[in-house]
Amino acid sequence: MGEVIVITSGKGGVGKTTTTANIGTGLASLGYKVVMVDTDIGLRNLDVVMGLENRIVYDIVDVVHGHCRLKQALIKDKRFEDLFLLPASQTRDKTSVTQEQMRKLCKDLKEEYDYVLIDCPAGIEGGFKNAIAGADKAIVVTTPEVSAVRDADRIVGLLEANDLKNPKLIINRIRPHMVKKGDMMDIDDMIEILAIELLGVVPEDEFIVVSTNKGEPAVLDKNSMAGQAYRNISLRITGENVPLMQLDVNVGIMKKLRKLIGF
Amino acid sequence: MSDKKADYVKQEMTELAKTASNCNIPDNETILVQRTIRSGQTVQYSGHIVILGDVNPGAEIIAGGNIMVLGCLRGIAHAGALGNQLAVVAAFRLEPTQLRIANHITRAPDGEKWQPQQPEVARIKNGVVVIEKLQSMGERYLNFC
Repeated sequence: MGEVIVITSGKGGVGKTTTTANIGTGLASLGYKVVMVDTDIGLRNLDVVMGLENRIVYDIVDVVHGHCRLKQALIKDKRFEDLFLLPASQTRDKTSVTQEQMRKLCKDLKEEYDYVLIDCPAGIEGGFKNAIAGADKAIVVTTPEVSAVRDADRIVGLLEANDLKNPKLIINRIRPHMVKKGDMMDIDDMIEILAIELLGVVPEDEFIVVSTNKGEPAVLDKNSMAGQAYRNISLRITGENVPLMQLDVNVGIMKKLRKLIGF
Repeated sequence: MSDKKADYVKQEMTELAKTASNCNIPDNETILVQRTIRSGQTVQYSGHIVILGDVNPGAEIIAGGNIMVLGCLRGIAHAGALGNQLAVVAAFRLEPTQLRIANHITRAPDGEKWQPQQPEVARIKNGVVVIEKLQSMGERYLNFC
């Protein structure tokens, strides 16, 4: 029996889809059976980020309305045997799926897979309500910005009201040098307001742009800091105790010279 | 507790309320909210409200009487919402986005932030909202209502 984890944020653009793709790939690389479900119906992105958009034949709306079997809609990942994607529909909208249908879908998926990751759309209305309907646990993603934290707080309140207690927090796109200068919110300030357990901190990394465009999640890259952070987060989800990454790496003189010359 | 004793306690409390306050709203019309109030949530009551926790930005506390926050007040607090000019707002850390008492609305001046160093209380004095240190030395200094 697996667990259903919904990845939500309230605010758009903070990195829910990127986080879902990377955690899914991370857990699969650790040997677990994982399925990722994109519930952003009408604005699907998870398939693009995973590089699987050309393989979509059926989607979640087809499954839920009975036009196809669940197995027919699931797309196996290019790189991992036990990683699957259930894509959203691009031609319909959020009213095509109900909460009861989502609950049944999650129940069916839980029996086959160790982890069911649900990529929640932005907002607090129908799409959000559908996404959390079948979930056991929640992860809230936010960036270190006042507006994002405000929205994350609203979401935590709504999650608690819907019996999803103890959501975990991922702080995304943090820039340690800005935090040091005082231009960006500190991790402790954010936890003081949100008051939920911290799951991980992902630094701002240019490589994410490259990886999402190519369709290769950053977890797979050895050199990316964000990738390392996502690997640590995947380990923490499975129960391992991994200390937080040291984010402000002191760049040595040789590295600085190399950067100047252009290597 | 037997019924007789319960009635006695109730009667005692009501008597105390009648003598102690000269406020329109008696002591025993108070609710205690035992959690942090998150963004988007509202607590509304015609009497006094006590919050055991923080009030996050985006949350609203609207009371006909006084508001006491045993934590950080970072949201909006409206005391004396039914017109009571004698109502107060007190908090361990008073740093609201907006503070309202009866029909007065105040906020931190532009460019400045609330910098609370200690528990404070806001009340109307001589027609303006003033913020003072919250002293707990009995009715003479506390002087609510």
